[in-house]
Amino acid sequence: MAMSRLAPLAAAAALLAWASPAPAQTVVKIGAALSMTGPAAAYGAQQKAGIQAAVDQINKSGELKGVKLEAVIEDDASTKEQGIAVFQRLINKDKVVAIIGPTLSNTATATDPLAQMAGVPVVAVSNTAPKGITDIGDWIWRVSLTEGQVIPGALKAAQAKLGFKTAGVLYGNDDAFTQAGYSVMKSALEAMGVKTVGTQTFAKPDRDYSAQLTALLGQKPDILVVSALVENASGIVAQARQLGYTGPILGGNGFNSPALIANAGKAAEGVLVGTAWNKVSTEKANQDYVALMKARGHEPDQFCTQAYVGVQVVADAMRLSGQHTRAGVKAGFLKVKDLPTPLGKFSFLPSRDGDHAPAVQVVKDGKFQIMQ
Amino acid sequence: MMEGLADLYATYQSTLAYIGLNGLLALSIYTSLSCGQLALGNAGFAAIGAYAAALLTMNAGAPFPLALAAAAVVPALVAIPLGLPVLRLKGIFLAIATIGFGEVVRIGLVNWDYVNGAQGLVAIPQKASVGLIWIVLAAATLLLWRLRGSKWGFALEAIRQDEPAARTMGIDTASYKLAMLMLGAALAGLAGGLEAHFTFMVAPNGFGFSRVVDMLVFAVVGGIASVWGPLFGASFLTVLPEAMRDLAPLLGIEPGPLRMLVNGLILLAVILFLPQGLVSLGARWRERRAARARRAA
Amino acid sequence: MQQVVNGIFLGSIYALFALGYTLVFGVLDILNLAHAAVFMLAAFVALALVGHGLHILAAFPLAVLGAGLLGVLLERVAFRPLRARADSNISGLISSLAMATIFEAVAYLVWGPNVSRFPFGTIPESQFHLGGAVISRLQVTIIGVAVALFVALTWLVTRTRLGREVRAVAESPRAARVLGVDVDRVIAWSFLISSALGGAAGVLYALAFNAIQPDMGRGVELKGLAVIVLGGMGSMPGAVVAGFALGLTEVFVVANLGASWRDAVSFAGLFLILVLRPRGLFGAAALREA
Repeated sequence: MAMSRLAPLAAAAALLAWASPAPAQTVVKIGAALSMTGPAAAYGAQQKAGIQAAVDQINKSGELKGVKLEAVIEDDASTKEQGIAVFQRLINKDKVVAIIGPTLSNTATATDPLAQMAGVPVVAVSNTAPKGITDIGDWIWRVSLTEGQVIPGALKAAQAKLGFKTAGVLYGNDDAFTQAGYSVMKSALEAMGVKTVGTQTFAKPDRDYSAQLTALLGQKPDILVVSALVENASGIVAQARQLGYTGPILGGNGFNSPALIANAGKAAEGVLVGTAWNKVSTEKANQDYVALMKARGHEPDQFCTQAYVGVQVVADAMRLSGQHTRAGVKAGFLKVKDLPTPLGKFSFLPSRDGDHAPAVQVVKDGKFQIMQ
Repeated sequence: MMEGLADLYATYQSTLAYIGLNGLLALSIYTSLSCGQLALGNAGFAAIGAYAAALLTMNAGAPFPLALAAAAVVPALVAIPLGLPVLRLKGIFLAIATIGFGEVVRIGLVNWDYVNGAQGLVAIPQKASVGLIWIVLAAATLLLWRLRGSKWGFALEAIRQDEPAARTMGIDTASYKLAMLMLGAALAGLAGGLEAHFTFMVAPNGFGFSRVVDMLVFAVVGGIASVWGPLFGASFLTVLPEAMRDLAPLLGIEPGPLRMLVNGLILLAVILFLPQGLVSLGARWRERRAARARRAA
Repeated sequence: MQQVVNGIFLGSIYALFALGYTLVFGVLDILNLAHAAVFMLAAFVALALVGHGLHILAAFPLAVLGAGLLGVLLERVAFRPLRARADSNISGLISSLAMATIFEAVAYLVWGPNVSRFPFGTIPESQFHLGGAVISRLQVTIIGVAVALFVALTWLVTRTRLGREVRAVAESPRAARVLGVDVDRVIAWSFLISSALGGAAGVLYALAFNAIQPDMGRGVELKGLAVIVLGGMGSMPGAVVAGFALGLTEVFVVANLGASWRDAVSFAGLFLILVLRPRGLFGAAALREA
């Protein structure tokens, strides 16, 4: 009697075993050192969402045959001390094949040499400092475009459309990301022959920028060029508009976040953003990604997308080299070519920096749109 | 087995190094506290030491021992013009003035183009090993421990308990206080110089107000009655986040903000219930056992 | 002209924040480092109330009251048990630091790290021009609320029985006790008022700049310290004057030297005041030197 009662169960089990792929899968760990607490926590949260989405997606698609990816995500608390501890742990304890991160450039300059010495590939997904990241060595690769790859093009495109001759520059000088962005803006403006009529700075904890903006706007610049993090960007835009400034505002990567529109509202209209990720791109890879994130209930920003692509690139490298080892991932990176990603067709430059087309967006009707 | 041990060491070697570095920083706060002075400029001193040493090895090609010596000497020298006026202030006012000093150092570095502002100095050669860090810490501990039992130690204790009384006893309180500030600055600077040559980089953001708060917390959680308290506090609080990483998955929780909460709760519990710090737990426990033994006998 | 408006506006927020900070210092000689965390939590509470459909005019007093109660809690948990200790001003500093860390961790756990803002239309947005400067009605309202709170506090301290008792305790807790003042009650009230003021500053700050974050207190924490030192620690008129002075100075430095020097000037100023005139601009000639 027991037999017959168990029979349907056995049949179901057999069916399941047939329907799902053979369980003989190798688990391959990809590590991530992200800032989940501390000043950069907002970025870490976005990056985590991107990495998890990518890992789930790749496992579901079965594009890596016989391999199940597993993300090991650790918090570096936005400090280099814990960033180093996380790297040592990922390298020596979790034995990951590659590390995504860390979130901050400052932390990366402390952690990446460890991976270089241990021979573990690192994929930087948010470090934009032009120097001191990929030149650490041949194990350090980067998906995120440096500001140098984005800003000059964005400024040129904006000038072709708006024809500005003078600029006022505002940047956060106590942060590596925004300071690096400023250096690029400065030289790009010089190269274009645009006169910088004033330069002002702010600190990351500041929320009132009206003194700086008043001083800059007093010089009557044709355009306001801003290098700021997301949390500062919306306040700067809102206060500039409140002070009666109606001209164009151009920002770097930090502006490319839904938080800009959510927090600045109408004031964000007409803001130009030079960015690595064109959210409204109609390419299939991007459309699929946007739909995927929507289904997961997460509104992605650029940091989320770059982290997603970081995992994609590692997976593609494993596929291309046919190996899921550290050396295999590194060898595969050399072969990654025109990989369709939400960022566009992705390849690495000889300098191991990422290469794909940047975009210039404009905020219109409460949405990021591609600049015509 | 050997490989397993090597991996274990490799996994936790930076934690070991930071136990040493944080121990030095905790001691640097302790030096001033041992004569009753709450001086909170040590993040600034650590920054000066770190930058001085890193600039010497990178831009002047100086040998590492020389750079490390400079990491101790330069902040100690800076402590003189700082200490002369501010050490006349007492209690909270000294704390605030030295916090101001620390912020001025950080902002100065952010605005100084020669040292790359906020991006900091990168690609510093790694010259400091875990062993060296621990040797320096051991030497500093020995020095402070010997100091405590000496004539100096008694003078410092007298100043801590009642400064005007110490002065009437003929103790040159100003010189003692300045000497301890300089010693604290030198220890903080050494920690900075070692850290710069262990972690490949230094940046101003690593030396903000929250860093000096960390140092103070190390010292207070451990206990400031002896040199062992700060060392224990630094070790405990440096290991704690790593231990929580291992525990969090077992308990099924997200570490992140929880770590912050635990830190705050430990600090509160210590200050409320263990004013002598965690090291006094051992003594209490021994006392209780002795009492029980007496009762049994 | 615009810069003067900017400076006065910034100054009114500094002053409001510092007023509570300095009140506790005057009464207890303790630096309450959790003040900035109360500032932050009040903003989040107001946001949550508005999110539940409450009008800001109702949410503001409720959040301020909540902040005041938080202050009472703070006093009970972190300060009262330490009062008998010889080093209570250092241990109090540390226990307030512990409370600040706990408050911030709670904010991270509940609201997450992202920047939040009040929904659009919480405050009607409109502005007018005055002598070439743009001023929003919100700014005028905020300055008005700040001034009203200064006046109310001055009245409370100088004209009421509680105010007299607060001053007596600030002068000498022992003498006050002899005179029959319930010192514990007075200290609890001081914390309530102090934290309510800090909370009011937090909500107004959040309304003005539309940025609410668990670490939003960090930006004003050290500035507030500079203000109370400049004004003379424990001096309430000093805090108000120094708040406006710092606001205007910062704006002046930004306009003339550039913003990179702004914070350096604030902290160097704080440093110089302590060294040259430790009692601050308005402080009583208390014993600040050993």
